[in-house]
Amino acid sequence: MNPLPATAFLAFAAALLFALPLLPAIAELRKKHDAQPLRVNPEYAGDIRHFARGFRSYADALRQPLQECVAAHSTATGKLHNGDRYLVLGDSDNRVLLREGNMSGTSCPLVVVAGIDLALPPGLTFLKEIYACGQFIGGAESTYRAICGEKGIHLQHNSKVTRWVHAAGDFEADRNCDLYGRASSDGEMSLHSGCFFQRLNAPRIATGSASVATGSRLSAASDIPTEKPVPAKPNSRRLIEGDWEIQSGAVITENIVTRGSLRIGSGVRIAGSAKSSGEMVVGPDVVVEGSLISAASMHIGPRGLIGGPVIAERAMVIESGTQCGSVGSPTTVSAPLIDAEEECLFFGTLWAREHGHVVPKP
Amino acid sequence: MIYPLFGIVLLICIYTMRHYLFTLNRLFGFQRHPYIDIDTADWPPVTVLVAAHNEEKVVAHILTALMKVSYPEEKLLIVPVNDRSTDRTREIIDTFVQAHPGRIRPFHRTGGKGGKAAALKDAMGMVETEVILIFDADYIPGTALVKQLVAPFFDPEVGGVMGRVVPLNVGRNLLTRLLDLERAGGYQVDQQARMNLRLVPQHGGTVAGVRLSALREIGGWNENSLTEDTDLTYRLLLAGWKTVYQNRSECYEEVPETWPVRIKQIQRWAKGHNQALANYGFRLLFGKHLATSRERVDGFLLLGVYMMAPITMLAWILALAVFYQGTSPLHGIIAVLSVTAYAAVGNFAAFFEIAAAARLDSTPERIRLLPLLIFAFLVSIVAVSRAVVSQLTAPLTGAQFHWDKTERFRSPS
Repeated sequence: MNPLPATAFLAFAAALLFALPLLPAIAELRKKHDAQPLRVNPEYAGDIRHFARGFRSYADALRQPLQECVAAHSTATGKLHNGDRYLVLGDSDNRVLLREGNMSGTSCPLVVVAGIDLALPPGLTFLKEIYACGQFIGGAESTYRAICGEKGIHLQHNSKVTRWVHAAGDFEADRNCDLYGRASSDGEMSLHSGCFFQRLNAPRIATGSASVATGSRLSAASDIPTEKPVPAKPNSRRLIEGDWEIQSGAVITENIVTRGSLRIGSGVRIAGSAKSSGEMVVGPDVVVEGSLISAASMHIGPRGLIGGPVIAERAMVIESGTQCGSVGSPTTVSAPLIDAEEECLFFGTLWAREHGHVVPKP
Repeated sequence: MIYPLFGIVLLICIYTMRHYLFTLNRLFGFQRHPYIDIDTADWPPVTVLVAAHNEEKVVAHILTALMKVSYPEEKLLIVPVNDRSTDRTREIIDTFVQAHPGRIRPFHRTGGKGGKAAALKDAMGMVETEVILIFDADYIPGTALVKQLVAPFFDPEVGGVMGRVVPLNVGRNLLTRLLDLERAGGYQVDQQARMNLRLVPQHGGTVAGVRLSALREIGGWNENSLTEDTDLTYRLLLAGWKTVYQNRSECYEEVPETWPVRIKQIQRWAKGHNQALANYGFRLLFGKHLATSRERVDGFLLLGVYMMAPITMLAWILALAVFYQGTSPLHGIIAVLSVTAYAAVGNFAAFFEIAAAARLDSTPERIRLLPLLIFAFLVSIVAVSRAVVSQLTAPLTGAQFHWDKTERFRSPS
C-alpha cells in the first residue's frame, strides 16, 4: 500500500486544524469590522451640564412655537423630528397640561416646554424631559425624567428625578427628594433632610436650611480664614508609617501622609494636605487648607473647614457646620457613599458615586 | 540540567498566575478611580513638557490640541522641548509661539547628550510649577486630559501619574492592529489591576505627570537611563511616593507601522527595563525603604518581564536537552510537559488578559485577531532576547547603548 496519500491527507488535516482558528482572524483583518481607534471623545470634558446643554439644543427646534404660544397665551402640540410628541405651554394655567390627551392617568408622555412660570400639582409622572423658561415648581411626590430650567427649580417633598436636572437659577429640593444622576445649578442649590443625591454641582450647595447653614461662623468664612496666617513649608511632606494621631489644637505646616489610620484632634490647623491609607477621623473645628484624602473611610467632625478636594475611597460622613471649598476657591467632595448632615456647605462639586444622603442633624 | 529547568518553570508559573490575577481582578474586583471625580478645584499652575526630536510630522497636532484644553490659561505653560531637531520642528514650534503669545515657552536644545531623559533634564530650568505633565510629540490630548492628570496631585502621597495610551492608527496593517490589542491588555487590564490592588502602576513617560518636589527629592531625571519612565517609577517608589494610573484619562498615540521600527522600540524598552532591574531590583526586594511588601513583590516582577523572553527560550532549549538526555525520563517528561503547559496555559493568560480588555472596551470584534498575536509574541521574544544578549555582552564587545527615536508615520497637516 502506498503511504503517500495517507501522509498527504494527514499533513493537510494538520494544516487545516492549525489554520482553523486563524480563519476568523484573517477575515477580520481583511474586512476590518472593528479597526477603528477606541472612541475617545476629545471634546468631552466630563461637564455635569453636558446633558442640559444637549437638551437645550434639542429644544431649540421649538423656539418659534414657544414664542407664539407665549404671545398668544395658548398651547401647541406636535411631533419632534425624532418622533417624540411635545406640548408647548404659553399659559400658566396648568389645567391645560392635565387635559385628556396630554396625560395618561397621572403620567405625561410628552416633552413639555413651558414659556412661562410653571407650578405643577402633586403626584404626576413625566416620562419625557421638561424645559422651563420661567420658574419651575414641581408638585410633591412627582417623578421626572429630566428638567432643564432657565430660572429657578423647586421640587416639593418626596419628588424624584431619574436622570438629570439643571437650573440656570437656584435649585431647591424639599425633604426626601431623590436626585439620581446629575443635578446642577448656576446659582445656589439647597437639599433638605432625607434627600438622596449622586452628582451635584453649583457655586454653592447647602444641606438643610440654607439660612442656618450660612449663619454664625460660616457666614464670616466665605473663604478659609486667614486671620492667623501659618507659614506653610511649601511642598514638604511628613510620611508616617502606621497610625497617627494629631493632638488637639496642633498646627501643622506641611503635608501629612500616613500609611495607617489618621485621627485629627479638635481645633487642629493644617496648612497643607492630609492623606491616610486607612480610616481618617477629623475632629471638630479642624481647618485644612489643602486637601483631605483617605484610601478608606472618612469622618469629618462638626464645623470643619476644608479648602481643597475631599476624597474618600469608601465612605464619608460630614457633620453639620462643615464647609468645603469657598466662593473664590470651589472644590470637589467625592466618595462612593456620603452622608452629609444638615447645615453643611459645599462650593463646587459634591459627588456620591453610589449613594449620597442628607441626614438630619442629631 | 533538570533543576534549573524546574526553577524556570516555577518562575513562569508565577508570571502566569500574575496575568490571571490581574485579569480576574479587572473583571470582577473593586475598581479604583479615586481622583477621576475631581472636576472642580482651585487648579494649580502646571508646566506641560512636550518632548520633540525631529517631530515635524506631528508636533503641530499636539500643540493645537494643548491650546484647546479646558485648563485655566493663566495656570498652564506649554514647554516644547525641541531636542536637537534637524527638521522643521523648531520652525513649527516658533510659529505657535507667535500665534499664542505667553502660552508657549519653547526650549530649543542644540547640543548635549542624546535621549529624552537628558533633554527633559536640561529643560527643567524652565519649570517653576509643582506639577509637571509630560507628553511625547505624537500624542493628541483631549480637552479634559490636563485636569484629569493634574487631579491626583491633590493627594500629597502621589509623586507620579500615568494616563491611558490609545493607538490612533489602528487600522493601518496587521502590526498596528496587534499593537492595539497589546496596548489594550497592558493598560485596560494590567495597569488598572495594579492600581486596584495597590501595586506598582508604571509611569509611562508620556500622558503622564510628576511632582516637582518628588522629582527633586529623587535626584531629577536619570539621563543614563534608556527608559526614563521605568527609572522614575522605581526611584519614586523607593522614596515612598506613589505612582497612580488613571484609566479614564485616555490619549491617542501613534504606534509603529513597520516591524523594524517596532523591533527597535521594544528592544529599547527591554534594555531600559533591564537597566532598572540591575539598578533597583535587589534593593527593591531586600532594601530598607518605604515600599510596601506587595509593592516590593509586584515591582520586582514588573522589572523582570523583559527577562522572561530569554528565560522562556532557555526553557525550551533545556527541555529539549533534558528530553533527549534520557537519563531521567520521568523528570524529562515532566519538564517538557511543564514547558508545553506554559505554552498552552501561560500564553493563554496573556490572551485572556487581552480578550478581557477588548470586552471592557466594548470592542468585541477585534478579539478575532487574538490567534495572530502568537506571531507578534514570537517576534517580541526573539527581539527582546537579542536585546538582552547584546546588553549582557556589551561589557565584552564595548558596545555603547544609544537612544533610538521611534519613527513617525503620520502626515503633517
